Amino acid sequence: MKEALETPPCAAPASASRRNFLRGVPVVTAAAVAVPTPAIASTAKHQWAMLIDVRKCIGCQACTVSCIQENAVPEGSFRTVVSTYSVKLTDSAQPAGTYVLPRLCNHCDNPPCIPVCPVSATYKREDGIVAVDGDRCVGCAYCVQACPYDARFINHDTGKADKCTFCAHRVDAGLLPACVETCVGGARIFGDISDPEGELARRLKETQPQLKVLKPELDTAPRVFYIGLDERFTGKVEGQGTLWKPRSLPHA
Amino acid sequence: MNPNIVETINVAREVAWLPWAVQYFFLIGLSYGAYLLSLPGVVFRRPGWAGISRLALLGALVCGLAAPVALLADLHQPGRFWHFYAYFTPTSWMSWGAFFIPVYLGGLLTYAWLAFRPDLARHAQSGGKLSGLANVLAYGGHDSRGALKAAALLAFVGAALVALYTGAEVAVVQARPLWNTPLLPLQFFVTAFAGAVGLALLFNRFSVRDQAANRRMAGVLAATQVVALAVGALWLALGLSGVSPVHAQALAEVGPSANWQFSAAWAVTATVLTLLLAWKWPGSGLLIGLLALHSAWMMRWSIFIGGQEVPKTGAGYYTYSLPLGPEGLMGIVGTAGLWVFLFVLITTLLPLDRLAAGDTDKAAA
Ligand code: SF4
Ligand code: SF4
Repeated sequence: MKEALETPPCAAPASASRRNFLRGVPVVTAAAVAVPTPAIASTAKHQWAMLIDVRKCIGCQACTVSCIQENAVPEGSFRTVVSTYSVKLTDSAQPAGTYVLPRLCNHCDNPPCIPVCPVSATYKREDGIVAVDGDRCVGCAYCVQACPYDARFINHDTGKADKCTFCAHRVDAGLLPACVETCVGGARIFGDISDPEGELARRLKETQPQLKVLKPELDTAPRVFYIGLDERFTGKVEGQGTLWKPRSLPHA
Repeated sequence: MNPNIVETINVAREVAWLPWAVQYFFLIGLSYGAYLLSLPGVVFRRPGWAGISRLALLGALVCGLAAPVALLADLHQPGRFWHFYAYFTPTSWMSWGAFFIPVYLGGLLTYAWLAFRPDLARHAQSGGKLSGLANVLAYGGHDSRGALKAAALLAFVGAALVALYTGAEVAVVQARPLWNTPLLPLQFFVTAFAGAVGLALLFNRFSVRDQAANRRMAGVLAATQVVALAVGALWLALGLSGVSPVHAQALAEVGPSANWQFSAAWAVTATVLTLLLAWKWPGSGLLIGLLALHSAWMMRWSIFIGGQEVPKTGAGYYTYSLPLGPEGLMGIVGTAGLWVFLFVLITTLLPLDRLAAGDTDKAAA
């Protein structure tokens, strides 16, 4: 089953102008990210990206569960999760508030996971999705070390590198990623950043001053954008370690 | 730590480079370190070095043969190791490493064979255990200096490339500030060389117990410990002063952790102790040898396993507990077992006492 979920490379190449355009986006600034300007070309291929409106996330983990179901993620591993934090409030009578942050592979435009792969098994598809060629991966886990977002892991069932694929198998079939489909709060918006009429491009443009990405200082140029991302959570979170951990399984 | 934020739900990522990787970096480091220690006696024929260098060459051989097995076992798809050669990727240090290892091992094996050929012939003549095999391997038993120097040169190139790639492969990982410092490759090298001296000290202790060789090695070991302390102090100074942002980040990542403070204190204590003993009591060959080996291994364990206990995005630290199966303890026990097997096999053909006795004429006497 896992083999079927691994994503093949995109067959048709993007036009040169499209490629040039894409090289420039998304541009990350220290505080916010610039909205990618949509290119208008009828022969354009899609350029997939995601916008997460943290203000709308209710931390229900429906995305976490649907991703596990859709992608047969082994127990104890996650391709996406909603990191949840209890934050002490200083300006309220309430003792603490909850902060939630959905995390997944950022499908970076400058992904540190790609150059380190010793067999070129990790690659970027023409549509921007960062994928793993499961037939080639040797399971060396160098990409797991190189990803600055802890987005990757070694799948114990397959012995290969695993991570979010933006549900490429669904996207290729014209469907939304499972996490977007099931998001209760409507916090995840998935779409084509190169389609100016599309909801994603429109929303990115509207919310441009508030847009942020994780660890912008690393210049990884993530394709997952956030609205309502608190500064204290953009990098490694300074706080008390997690209280809940998935059950670790004995692996043969 | 910010007491105002408590992480309640997050992923705990497992260690993906397993204890096998620690064993690989430990063994390959000992091997190239011991190879370097073999040069003064075997290649340059420096007086007083023959026994040390021949014991070191044995160490380089045993560790060098065991190391790739550990490396292969660390892959989650070991059967696909040939992909490294089919899909060369120049942007990846690991990909280069797959080509550097055979250069080193090819050079080392040829060099060791040329160096030990006369000894193999002598063993065949003496009619000891496996003398038939020794006779075949000796292949006439000639002492060919020219070929030996050429093979040693090839091994030198290989050793330099292996030392470079094993350091760079880890040091380039920006996602792990603890690894991402330019001093890391140097720290790997110094501890590897010190560990190799430790191994030769043990071999000497368990064979001829040559006091002069012991003192000579103690002197070299003391020097390595001074360098290790100096590099460590530089690392800390760069981190504390903020002169180097990558060092400051590395320090900030592990500094607040009590476990890490303990590890650092342990490492410094062990290094100072080794230095003092090697300097003031050079006769303590067994103890300082074990201490140096222990420091080389602990350094790699802390860097690899400890380094992977630091979450990249989540709060606090992950906690690693050593599994008992192939993903944990078996990786350590398995490589140790392989090492012992190779050691027994090679020393049956080339007994320690004969190697330690220095030049072959003395050994024959
Ligand atoms: S988030 Fe990590 S795994 Fe995903 S593309 Fe970026 S570096 Fe690669
Ligand atoms: S685990 Fe697979 S995808 Fe990742 S670096 Fe190794 S070979 Fe490449």
